[in-house]
Amino acid sequence: MKRTIGVAALALAIAVPGCNRAPEKKGIALVTKAMDSEFWLVLADGAKTAAAEHPDYELVISSPDREINVDQQVSILENQIRRGVKALIVDPAGTAQVNSTLEQAVARGIPVVLIDTDAPFAKKSSYIGTDNAKGGSLAATGMVAAIGTSGDVVLISGVPGNESQDARAKGFLDEIAKTPGIKVVAQQPGNSERQLGLTVMENLLTAHPNIKGVFATNDQMALGAMEAVEARKLRGKIAIIGFDATKEAANAIVEGKMTGSVAQSPREMGRQGVLAAIALAEGRTVPKLVDTGTEYVDAKNAAKYAK
Amino acid sequence: MSRGGARILLGRLAPLLGLVILCVVLALTSPHFLTADNLVNVLRQSSVNALLALGQLVVIITAGIDLSIGSILGVSSVVLAMQLRAGVPPLAAVTGTLVLGALVGLLNGLLLTRLKLPHPFISTLGTMNVARGAAMILAAGVPISGLPDGFRMPFNGDLFGIPAAVIVVAIAGLLVHLLLERTVYGRDLFAIGGNREAARLAGVPVSSRLELAYLVSGLMAAVSSLVLAARMNSGFPLAGTGAELDAIAAVIIGGASFFGGVGTVGGTLIGALFIGLLRNGLNLLDVSAYWQMIVIGVVIVAAVVIDVLRARQGD
Repeated sequence: MKRTIGVAALALAIAVPGCNRAPEKKGIALVTKAMDSEFWLVLADGAKTAAAEHPDYELVISSPDREINVDQQVSILENQIRRGVKALIVDPAGTAQVNSTLEQAVARGIPVVLIDTDAPFAKKSSYIGTDNAKGGSLAATGMVAAIGTSGDVVLISGVPGNESQDARAKGFLDEIAKTPGIKVVAQQPGNSERQLGLTVMENLLTAHPNIKGVFATNDQMALGAMEAVEARKLRGKIAIIGFDATKEAANAIVEGKMTGSVAQSPREMGRQGVLAAIALAEGRTVPKLVDTGTEYVDAKNAAKYAK
Repeated sequence: MSRGGARILLGRLAPLLGLVILCVVLALTSPHFLTADNLVNVLRQSSVNALLALGQLVVIITAGIDLSIGSILGVSSVVLAMQLRAGVPPLAAVTGTLVLGALVGLLNGLLLTRLKLPHPFISTLGTMNVARGAAMILAAGVPISGLPDGFRMPFNGDLFGIPAAVIVVAIAGLLVHLLLERTVYGRDLFAIGGNREAARLAGVPVSSRLELAYLVSGLMAAVSSLVLAARMNSGFPLAGTGAELDAIAAVIIGGASFFGGVGTVGGTLIGALFIGLLRNGLNLLDVSAYWQMIVIGVVIVAAVVIDVLRARQGD
């Protein structure tokens, strides 16, 4: 008996600090793909800033543990719908898988704003985010600027089937195809994870020792690839281009370890996502499509992202 | 030799045979595979999984499972990086990290034996989530990069062309081998895995032995975090996500039995190497992402099928 009480007390002690008292506010929910990198934290920060200006709304931010856990995101969305939020702001982890859940939301009168990753979901109220294909093409232009108009390059892509990562890869491939001297000799998945970025790059350097550049569809994988290049003492000989322009990547660009990255505006996605959600909850209309912009970052302008 | 003896020998040789077949296939299909540089590369890439698998082996021998090692790897790498970034001397930071891993492992054991949770799947699943959450909180969700050379060299450098990580695996493998095969603790672990009730009646202190097994598993996860952090030049809260599954696969491919009581260090290291070679080969051959998943899944299931068939023959 004593033991049971002890366990119960322990469970309570763990549970209580984690749950907030729900005040009588109108709920809106932001559901991201993960919360494991600077990108998400900045996005969440932008969202919180916007929500703070509207005290009658309560913003709940949640995410699955990893980008790859699409099913977990679906469950989170279902929970938020049942909770009766007034609007959903979603960064879909799997654009096809979340569709039917988003249908449920709209059927219950909950407007859906997509951010960061667009999905072929006809009933969305708005998409606010980066034109990922355009970002990919910026990376390709940066690659040509770095290595010239000939040579072999490799591509490290994200979780297979992830729309925004795939769009970056496609944008890169389409643009690089305009320079016939440059050949993409391999495209391998790094699942957006740093550890895999390192391993995959090591293996690609073995299979293709003469490559002149690598484009990774996010900075985590690019930073992993960078460690592989550093270990082989090839700094400066292989152009490394990532995506996101995180602080860490920008610092690596300043130090000359990385070549470039494509900056997005996660803060704007978070901020405008919340503002659109509140507008919709109050019955106003919002633009269908908002491009939050991209910028190619290299040694010339990396300092402002590095801080 | 009796038929039983031949079967046991075949069972022991199966992992090695699988490894040799894989090597031949890769050598025939990729001109880059059979080079000293690439093989050293695969050894280095397999080292983290090998260390995790050594800990997992000890637990699987007791007919248990440890799902928390990937998360222990994550939280250890974060705590290690935080200490190093705060200027703690490498030796002290490494010691602190190892103690942390061992303590989390011991906690797994205590949850199982003292709280009498029904199966280690439950206790270590709990720890898996708690440790991952703690790693995310401590690191505020982002990687902690830029570790001092004084720490990185011993774990990421080379000694006569052999990666330091491989030497760490060799030492750890030898110690685990001695523990399992040369001490009364090891014999007890096999006895518990073979038949827990019989072991208890024979006077084996089952609880304290199980606590030891999980402690070793947690400790090995912390050791793997040293190698990984040195390699990545950072500690990051997501490190080792899903790594427990690769470690379990390595142990099973290496001929250990999920039913307990069977398993060797040599087999487990071969299992880890097998997975490393497979991923390396798939990259070298530029196999598409979707096919990679299928190949790895099929290999894992095949290894378990072999285990089940072996156990059935043993009846």
